Amino acid sequence: MMLPRLTLAGALLAATAAYAHETAGQHGGRVADAGKFHVELVAKGETVNVFVSDEGQKPVPAAGFKGTAILVVGGKPTRVPLEPADGNRLTGKAAAALGDSPKGAVQLTGPDGATASGKFN
Amino acid sequence: MSTRFAAALHAVALLAAVLAGPALAHEGHDHGTAPPPVSKTIAPRGEALSDAFELVAIPRDGTLTLFLDRFRTNEPVTGATIEVETPEGPKTAAATDEGGYALPAPWLAKPGRHDLVATVTAGDAVDVLTVAVTVPDPASQATAAPAKPAPAQAALSRASEFARGLRERLTAKDPILVAAVAVAFLLGVLVTALARGRRGAPAVALLAIGITLVLGTAAFAHGDEDHGAPVQGAALIEPRAPGSSDLAQRLPDGSVFVPKPTQRLLVLRTTMTEQGSFHRSVELPGRIIPDPNASGVVQSSVGGRLSPPPSGLFPRLGTKVRKGDVLATVTPPVQAVDVSDMRQRQGELDQQIAIVERRVERYRKLATTGAVATTQLDDAVAELNGLHDRRAALDKIRQQPETLVAPVDGVVAQATAVAGQMAAPGAMVFQIVDPNRLWVEALSFDALTAAQNATARLADGRSLKLAYQGTGLADRNQAIPVQFAVSGDASGLRVGQFVTVLAGTDTEQSGLALPRAAVVRTGNGQDVVYEHTTAERFEARPVRVEPLDGGRVLVAEGIGPGKRVVTQGAELLDQVR
Repeated sequence: MMLPRLTLAGALLAATAAYAHETAGQHGGRVADAGKFHVELVAKGETVNVFVSDEGQKPVPAAGFKGTAILVVGGKPTRVPLEPADGNRLTGKAAAALGDSPKGAVQLTGPDGATASGKFN
Repeated sequence: MSTRFAAALHAVALLAAVLAGPALAHEGHDHGTAPPPVSKTIAPRGEALSDAFELVAIPRDGTLTLFLDRFRTNEPVTGATIEVETPEGPKTAAATDEGGYALPAPWLAKPGRHDLVATVTAGDAVDVLTVAVTVPDPASQATAAPAKPAPAQAALSRASEFARGLRERLTAKDPILVAAVAVAFLLGVLVTALARGRRGAPAVALLAIGITLVLGTAAFAHGDEDHGAPVQGAALIEPRAPGSSDLAQRLPDGSVFVPKPTQRLLVLRTTMTEQGSFHRSVELPGRIIPDPNASGVVQSSVGGRLSPPPSGLFPRLGTKVRKGDVLATVTPPVQAVDVSDMRQRQGELDQQIAIVERRVERYRKLATTGAVATTQLDDAVAELNGLHDRRAALDKIRQQPETLVAPVDGVVAQATAVAGQMAAPGAMVFQIVDPNRLWVEALSFDALTAAQNATARLADGRSLKLAYQGTGLADRNQAIPVQFAVSGDASGLRVGQFVTVLAGTDTEQSGLALPRAAVVRTGNGQDVVYEHTTAERFEARPVRVEPLDGGRVLVAEGIGPGKRVVTQGAELLDQVR
């Protein structure tokens, strides 16, 4: 009797987990697709943090990556170059404070030279 | 837990697992795979959408060409600044003659997927768009065709070569081959016959020869016709040379591919469909009439001779007149009988005046002495004054003509006055109309209710807004007259002009209103609209339309709200083959 219950629970969990991913990211930012990666954009004050993960939400080491974030702040585009930091984080500083969830895009250049970009609305 | 319940739960669990399976496999969303190329003859391209813009990027010969349009209307955006993130830093694309933007991009020569970020600034609107462009590998395409066959393939190809040679010889009806086959068959039959016994051998041999001959010729009887050169790869059109422009074409799935430069030439415009409820309108024949309160006629009340006003000139057509202006005078003629009558009366009056004058003089002298009462003198004076008045009136009636004055401000719309003309009493001499205050009178077969918006369409396509004024009740040609005032600019209209009035009725319909030009009738008689599905793709959607008003139709079924539908150039789009 135990085994069927377990399979039932497992199956239901699998069914919900599959649809849980599209919400906010692990670091409280917004997640978008960029090529074969997922990028999470966290803009706080003047700092822009971008976390790179793969399709399975596993962190991808940021070393070797280059990036640019173009964010629209107050009706003007702001270009923020991103440099790899610890773990799967790339970081950059904007000239002015960024508002709450600015719209824009993040472009990443991988260690192999391939580019990927994600759009945030 | 009962067995049945457990079974049901298991079924649910299994179903959930099955449903979850594919979702897990691709994480519920597409991982940025480039859209499949629409056709081999179209250069690779990428496109991006936002709620304001639509961007198409075409890499070609080391140049990245960008086309920017408004998302909703498909109107080209000119004068925008497009900054593209390149490996060499941000670069600004320059505007080209054909309405696009070009950027030298040698870094795009590298085959593979390029993710671009374009920052678009057009007026106040700023948008960041991501475009993925996949550049095909020219090397792989070139080397694929003349690849060297592997050893295993070599044997196969040799076998197929032999088979092809055989087929060629067969089709060419090679006499050697035919003879060889015939002899072999003959020999086989003979050997069989000999093995079985010698008795029937000659008969069998004869039969075999006969059959062989018949078959040998019959089998190739149709071999004479020309099979032509083997068709090689007719279905595979060679990709167009790079650098040439793309052509609009109908794709195998029925959608129409129209590259951006062609869209500009065809002036394709779209609109976003919106659900709404509309009043159905009816078409009524109508004509322009002057506003009854701002127009008037000038008529003579008496018959008489027309003469110009004191200014010396009759007002001509189009002359502006003000209320109270004298437009003409009418001098009533005096008949011969009347003249003699008047003469007689004149003489009588003159005679009486002379008598009464003398009497007044005498009374005046006597009144001082008291021989005549003062009252008698007063009576005589009053009588004299009365006689003078009558005499003066008689003179005046011969000189005073009737003046015709303008009853309203306006413009002379009709003038029949000619100097010296005899006007009949009641005849219209002038018509005065205020050109800014015109009405439309239409004939309606059913009673329209008030407060409905109506428009009038002129023959030249112009449209006038009308305000409902009133409906008559008296029947006219089985219809009733309905009057509307032209609101707004009424210049260029003339009284009596025919117009088509579109008046709203009470019946309300819901659906998507589209301009009449958006609906195209296809060859099979079906009404379709073209939906702008992606930047350069249009798909025909069969729809059911209902009439709405002069300029629009109502799409009752076939397309939902929030779609971009071609409103201008749909007819041209339908011609793309």
